[in-house]
Amino acid sequence: MTPPTNRLAERLLFCATAVSAVAVLAIFGFLLWFSLPVFHGDAVATLLSWQWRPLRGEFGILPMLAGSLCLSVSAMLLAYPLALGICCFVHGAGPARAARPLVTAVRFMTSVPTVVYGLVSVFLLVPLIRNAFSGSGFSWLAAGLVLAVLVIPTIVLVIDGQFRQVQNGIGLTGIALGLGPIQQLLRLTLPLSARGLGVAAALGFGRAIGDTLIPLMLAGNAARLPHSLLDPMRTLTSHIALVVATDSQSLAYGSLFACGVVLFLVSLLVNLALRGLRAGHD
Amino acid sequence: MRQMMKRVAACWAVPLACCSILTGSALAGELEAFAGLKGKIDIAGGTAHIPVMNDAAKRIMQANPGVRITVAAGGSGVGVQKVGEGLVDIGNTGRPLSDEEIAKYGLKSYAFAIDGVAAVVHPKNPVGNLTAAQVQEIFAGKITNWKAIGGRDAAIHLFTRDEASGTREVFWEKLLKKGTIVDSANVVASNGAMKSALAGDPDALGYVSIGHIDETIKAPTLDGVAPTQDNARSGKYPIVRKLYMNTKGEAQGLTGAFIKYILGPEGKQMTAAAGYLPL
Amino acid sequence: MTSGASITERAVCILSWVSALTVPAVLWTLMGFLLWRGAPGWSLALFFGDTAPLDALLRGAPVFDGLWPACLGTLELVGLAAGIAVPLGVASGVYLAEYASGRSRQVFSFCVDLLAGIPSILMGLFGFALILLLRRTVAPAANTGLLLSALCLSLLVLPYLISTTRLSIEGLPQELRLAGACLGLSHGQVVGRILLPAAMHGVFSGIILAVGRAAEDTAVILLTGVVANAGTPSSLTGKYEALPFHIYYLAAEHQSPAQLTQAFASALVLLCLTGLMFAAARLLHARLEKKWKTGTTS
Repeated sequence: MTPPTNRLAERLLFCATAVSAVAVLAIFGFLLWFSLPVFHGDAVATLLSWQWRPLRGEFGILPMLAGSLCLSVSAMLLAYPLALGICCFVHGAGPARAARPLVTAVRFMTSVPTVVYGLVSVFLLVPLIRNAFSGSGFSWLAAGLVLAVLVIPTIVLVIDGQFRQVQNGIGLTGIALGLGPIQQLLRLTLPLSARGLGVAAALGFGRAIGDTLIPLMLAGNAARLPHSLLDPMRTLTSHIALVVATDSQSLAYGSLFACGVVLFLVSLLVNLALRGLRAGHD
Repeated sequence: MRQMMKRVAACWAVPLACCSILTGSALAGELEAFAGLKGKIDIAGGTAHIPVMNDAAKRIMQANPGVRITVAAGGSGVGVQKVGEGLVDIGNTGRPLSDEEIAKYGLKSYAFAIDGVAAVVHPKNPVGNLTAAQVQEIFAGKITNWKAIGGRDAAIHLFTRDEASGTREVFWEKLLKKGTIVDSANVVASNGAMKSALAGDPDALGYVSIGHIDETIKAPTLDGVAPTQDNARSGKYPIVRKLYMNTKGEAQGLTGAFIKYILGPEGKQMTAAAGYLPL
Repeated sequence: MTSGASITERAVCILSWVSALTVPAVLWTLMGFLLWRGAPGWSLALFFGDTAPLDALLRGAPVFDGLWPACLGTLELVGLAAGIAVPLGVASGVYLAEYASGRSRQVFSFCVDLLAGIPSILMGLFGFALILLLRRTVAPAANTGLLLSALCLSLLVLPYLISTTRLSIEGLPQELRLAGACLGLSHGQVVGRILLPAAMHGVFSGIILAVGRAAEDTAVILLTGVVANAGTPSSLTGKYEALPFHIYYLAAEHQSPAQLTQAFASALVLLCLTGLMFAAARLLHARLEKKWKTGTTS
């Protein structure tokens, strides 16, 4: 029934899609394969400890895992409300004239390189924090603030796209119901955008926990759990960037791929949670 | 201190620079070793080496367009690993290779310079002398305030290097006597990064290769001895190391020519200009 | 109307204004600081060092202490990565939105979400491990370089392309599909002639996101072949320089205030480059959208 060209096109599209699946499997396979040396016997106990002292044979990655989670959660706590606020501003809460420039500015932020944020923050934000509070300035706080700025455009673009779609469909309904712009946002657009909101959160969190350069340049990289916002910390990502230097057969190298496996599993968990959320919603 | 360093550099640089002006042919002769050679040299590793490597790469490539030289950073650990795996032709280290590394990869080392490692602070820091014991206690986390060692009343912001660093290894072995480095210290990835972090923080303490010391950071005397290349050469300053280029097996062909060039007179001149003592 | 609702409304209003003022303020502070520190470093020497610019441009003379090789490296890298990722990403997005059904749709969309969550440094680590494996097995001469970086970067940006393409096609009004069916078009024709052009807006926002991401990422290339000093890129397998790494390197390794100024100036160059790509994509997008609109109304 279907013409052959259509079937061919579908096959090609299928193959393109399969690339992503193969890539995911290949990445996980590689990480697992190269981290195998640390996944047996005593090595696992060493891995799951709070001490990173490779010269003494201690390869604990828990401080980095906790660091990654603390940093990305705190960045998201700041970024998500701001991003949502921007989307509300654009879709009714603010003057319509200001909406377009604001979205353009945020879109432009996607093209601001991470390394530029890092560079400017090292010479602007870090001295500010050092002078205003205590500590060296290279801290959870510095990295968290900049990371929040970094993930805002990702979140805004997804939510904005969703809002636009929803409002295309219901704009007139809202007006007909006599709802003001903010009421329409709260009563119609937001509840109808649950899926886009979730996708935005997932993508934003993925970006935050996966960023290497900001924590590497700003967080101070001390391999232990920070006791306050002003303490230095190290994330799994910056840990990999720092440790990739060591010799490729030692346990340190294996533990680095184990970090990779952990990061992979974290994003797997996030995705599973998101999936459950969507299923519940439908 | 800085003047002394400059003088050391000048001892080498001035006469050699004159040579290059007066007898350009003699130095062109050195570069002639590359004439007719084609191909590429990939270099990676130690961060202290980079100014010398870049300078050499520039001169060689300008004289011989057929040669391509790439220079990457990373630290001594990267140097050993990459040259061992065959990913680069020359892996630089700021520390001698371990017997294990030599045996496993079959590496050959070429030392080309002497360098010291010094504890350094911000230029505005009033502390002018540190004892080895004080430095050890600070890095162990026992002394946490500058006041305890004659400075102003402020917390010490400690900076250290990652475990792949040759500079860290030398500092840890020879000055800290393999003592603890407290885990709350900030970690930076290179000598240059250490320098720029310390230059911006009046309460910081860290350590760098002596070649990196300039007006932006200050090196207090250690047990009364100024950490200068002069004192490093005479043996008065004890925290010294050599800078090495390492190859997998004997260096041959283009790579061999490069190493010969670095070890030759023009290489010595560049090494001195970068603030190191050529061997 | 309850007072609770009006408090919520007021809170939304305040949040909106605060966000709408804060975020651009941060952006302008960033740009202002960058301009202030970087502008003094703008000159031809920034790009070409002490090589004559015409020699470098026309005869390929080697450039040292300049940005030219890094600019070329970044352009080639982004071009290659986009060349790999854009067709794959758009095709996957279309497939997931229009063709996949049931189980395969679930599995694939899960994989895409997962790929989106994989940190860039892991892509770099994967590329590095891939080379190690290749060297030990089939290709002992394999080495990190431009092509490997582009490949890893394309994996990194693929999910952005897929999910934006998919979301924008799925969000199109049902009438478009019905109209296509009424005209007697096959499913393939509906997708190719109606839905995809209509969804161009979203597809292009995905491409913008992806291109920007590929140009600025440092973590991937850090492990897959970028170096501080390599000259202009000579081959697909050779090592290369790239702007973001050059900035990262100078930020850490600057030996003098002049070099730090060069770092800021380089950052300004990179920002202009990504900004230009951004503007070009916006322009293209505006044209396409206008074309589509006139097409439907006439």
